[in-house]
Amino acid sequence: MQKGYVQVTDSYERILHWMLAISCLLLCVTGLGMMFQTFNFIGYLFGGLKSLKLVHNFTGLVFAASLILVIRMWWKEAGVFVFPEDLEWIKVAGGYLWHVDKVPETGKYNPGQKLFFLTVVGAGILMIITGLIMWFPTALPAGLVRWMYPLHALGFVAIFAFFFIHLYLGTIGNPGTVPAMLTGWMDRAVLKKQHPGWLKEMEHEGKLVVYGEEKKSGAHGHHA
Amino acid sequence: MTEKIKLYDDSKCTACRGCQLACKQWNALAASQTENRGTYQNPPSLNANTFLLIHYQDYVDKEGNVKWLFRKEACMHCTDAACVTVCPSGALHYNKATGTVGLDHDKCIGCKECVAACPFEIPRWDAATDKVYKCDMCESRIMNNMEPACVKACPTGALSWGPKEKMLKIAAKRVEKLGGNATTYGDKYVKGTHFMYVLKENPAIYADIHKDPSVPLSVTLWKGLLKPLSLLAAGGVLGGAFLHYMIHGPKYPDLPKDENTEGGK
Ligand code: SF4
Ligand code: SF4
Ligand code: SF4
Repeated sequence: MQKGYVQVTDSYERILHWMLAISCLLLCVTGLGMMFQTFNFIGYLFGGLKSLKLVHNFTGLVFAASLILVIRMWWKEAGVFVFPEDLEWIKVAGGYLWHVDKVPETGKYNPGQKLFFLTVVGAGILMIITGLIMWFPTALPAGLVRWMYPLHALGFVAIFAFFFIHLYLGTIGNPGTVPAMLTGWMDRAVLKKQHPGWLKEMEHEGKLVVYGEEKKSGAHGHHA
Repeated sequence: MTEKIKLYDDSKCTACRGCQLACKQWNALAASQTENRGTYQNPPSLNANTFLLIHYQDYVDKEGNVKWLFRKEACMHCTDAACVTVCPSGALHYNKATGTVGLDHDKCIGCKECVAACPFEIPRWDAATDKVYKCDMCESRIMNNMEPACVKACPTGALSWGPKEKMLKIAAKRVEKLGGNATTYGDKYVKGTHFMYVLKENPAIYADIHKDPSVPLSVTLWKGLLKPLSLLAAGGVLGGAFLHYMIHGPKYPDLPKDENTEGGK
């Protein structure tokens, strides 16, 4: 770790993030194996389509548990919009679509990230509820169960597309952001560009944890 | 492919249940213990070891006459079969020789998607084997130029099996002969079924019959729209990200020229 790097996430956040991410990815892959007969071959990797179904169902439980913890952890920072800053940011699309001289400062997470978080939360909850009913379809009338499948597919449309948006913006689209979810330490220069409002707030409150500097009181923590 | 149809004519059926038994025999299905519920209809409904069921119904017509109504319930072998559309494993499939709907139990993963999709509420799931069961039109027989076991067993001619065109003509002729409210059932739904009825009465008065069966809208939305959309949307995002990277470029951090510069630019 270089001197001057700033701690942006703690290990709890990163572990939960990866639990959610890996279970989500596994669900997408196993789900695709059942959604398209052309992808039935994915079943071979799991010892047959029937085991694929079981892997999908039980991974769903891991995903559900991770999602609940993630909501508890990030709701305050990423679940609620703060006005007017967030609105200003939305008006210029965060400087992602056209050139903007000065992107309005937002909190730790910008409205784009919040929108992403809320979509994952909303679609994730939809997937969990519809998925559980699909797991035990005989418990409810067929006329109702029928609608769980298109809803599950709708959630997949959203999650699968957002997965790639997230992958792009979290890696090559925003160079320097990957370490936030790997080591938890980020270059101050990147933070200045991406999260100036948060940086200033933390500096102001004296909560910023900088590598090589003595830890100040009230260190960064998220455990709800 | 020569599409084939099994025709059931309730005006000729005596409800002897020879067909029901022949079905059990050919498919080696065990009997279940049932209770006397005051009706000959037994078991009460289709189940994992009953692919075919004769329904018994007392019907009082407008003149006050009591009539027996019989109906043979089994998979209708839809031309546009919702169960085949949703089945993820290919276990449910169209028989290429006859257009009937077969079921390969080795492939079935017990997901029960077909159970929710079928507009006739036919497939039954068995907890013991975690697989689904239904009539497959005796695939093992019809592929060897034999008629389905139920047809073979029927002593009255209420059941018959043959090429689609021929069977449709026979059915139409029979309806004409019966007159009154007699009508065909099955041919008008889901692009035509490969099991169809000639009913002597208005279909609406038959108990537990499906009045206007069609492929559920949810199935069409799911498999026809959302399924392709999921790949299109993901592909669109990947393409969009690529274009964004090429045209707008990534958001590079500014090099720290001056530590006191305000953020954002
Ligand atoms: S009646 Fe139901 S189970 Fe039979 S072919 Fe039609 S949709 Fe499939
Ligand atoms: S339960 Fe079996 S037959 Fe029915 S849709 Fe699933 S895999 Fe296909
Ligand atoms: S064998 Fe023929 S007459 Fe007897 S119940 Fe079946 S269809 Fe009716």
